[in-house]
Amino acid sequence: MMSKLKLKAGGFALTAAVLACALVLGHHLWDYYVNAPWTRDGKVTADVVRVAPEVSGPIQTVYVTDNQLVQAGDVLFEISEERFQLALKAAQADLDTAHETMTFKQSQATRHATLREKGSTSQENAEQAAQEAAAAKAAYRSAQVALDVAKLNLERTTVRAPVTGYVTNLHLRQGDYAMAGTATVALLDADSFRVTGYFRETQLARIEVGDPVRIGLMGTRNDLSGHIESFGRGIADSNTASNAQGLPSVEPVFTWVRLAQRIPVRIGIDEVPDGMALAAGMTASVTVEDSASGA
Amino acid sequence: MKPDIDLFGVFIPTLLIAALGCYLVYRLLHAWLARIGLYRHVWHPALFDVALYFTVLGTVMLCLEQTIS
Repeated sequence: MMSKLKLKAGGFALTAAVLACALVLGHHLWDYYVNAPWTRDGKVTADVVRVAPEVSGPIQTVYVTDNQLVQAGDVLFEISEERFQLALKAAQADLDTAHETMTFKQSQATRHATLREKGSTSQENAEQAAQEAAAAKAAYRSAQVALDVAKLNLERTTVRAPVTGYVTNLHLRQGDYAMAGTATVALLDADSFRVTGYFRETQLARIEVGDPVRIGLMGTRNDLSGHIESFGRGIADSNTASNAQGLPSVEPVFTWVRLAQRIPVRIGIDEVPDGMALAAGMTASVTVEDSASGA
Repeated sequence: MKPDIDLFGVFIPTLLIAALGCYLVYRLLHAWLARIGLYRHVWHPALFDVALYFTVLGTVMLCLEQTIS
């Protein structure tokens, strides 16, 4: 009877012990998956410069190929420059005209001034001549600026890379018509590669700027190292969208289940393993290591 | 630890794979414990089984977490 009771107590203790173990380990598992600062929702990001010509015209020569690395200042393409050379000649001719007019008006004004001193012309005539000379001088300066603009336009028929980067998705061909101000080449800034990690708002308290980060790209064995650069300071709130009358259209919801928003966190890349080529848009898993507030 | 495992291009969370693997381990453990007759002394066998499964899973995940990449 006594031994049976003992056996029963032993069985109770055994179950309780295993249950305690399960609770401790389960809590740890929960903490790791819910609160620990890591995310599978990360993307490799880079800045894109959309290069647009400043002048319009048919494209004469394209000097780059798709996905090519170009240095800042390298020529991307050239717009046919005949029209701009003609414009330059016209501007030069206009300048010459303005110069001739100015010389004539100035000598006229000098002559009138001398005559006025002798009293053989009216004050009005002298003033008019002086004013016309001044106006002609201004017209000459204006023609000079017009010539400079024509020169600049001719220069800008050669489109250069503003940054060092990769030519991306190039569909430019010789003979295409390039419009001024319309982007023709997408240039991916080679120095701007970074990772954007979308962390749940509940995890942010455990991340600090400067924390070291391990970045795993999908399907690669070696990890990249980086650090937290900054936090995104805003995401869209659909409740602030306004209706036709300018009033906020607030959703009448009462949710039992709420989802944590994801906040973009900017992560600088410190080291890339040899031979790994980054492309903007790659999927990354981001783990914050040794975060100061403890993981 | 890799947060996900590549299965022919489909990336599955490590936890899912571990949960399936640990279920097999747990079934083997359960069979063995039943054979040595432990369950005759256990209080609430069902509760014991659940706790046993989560202990196995928790231990495996803890070990995986410690191995960096």
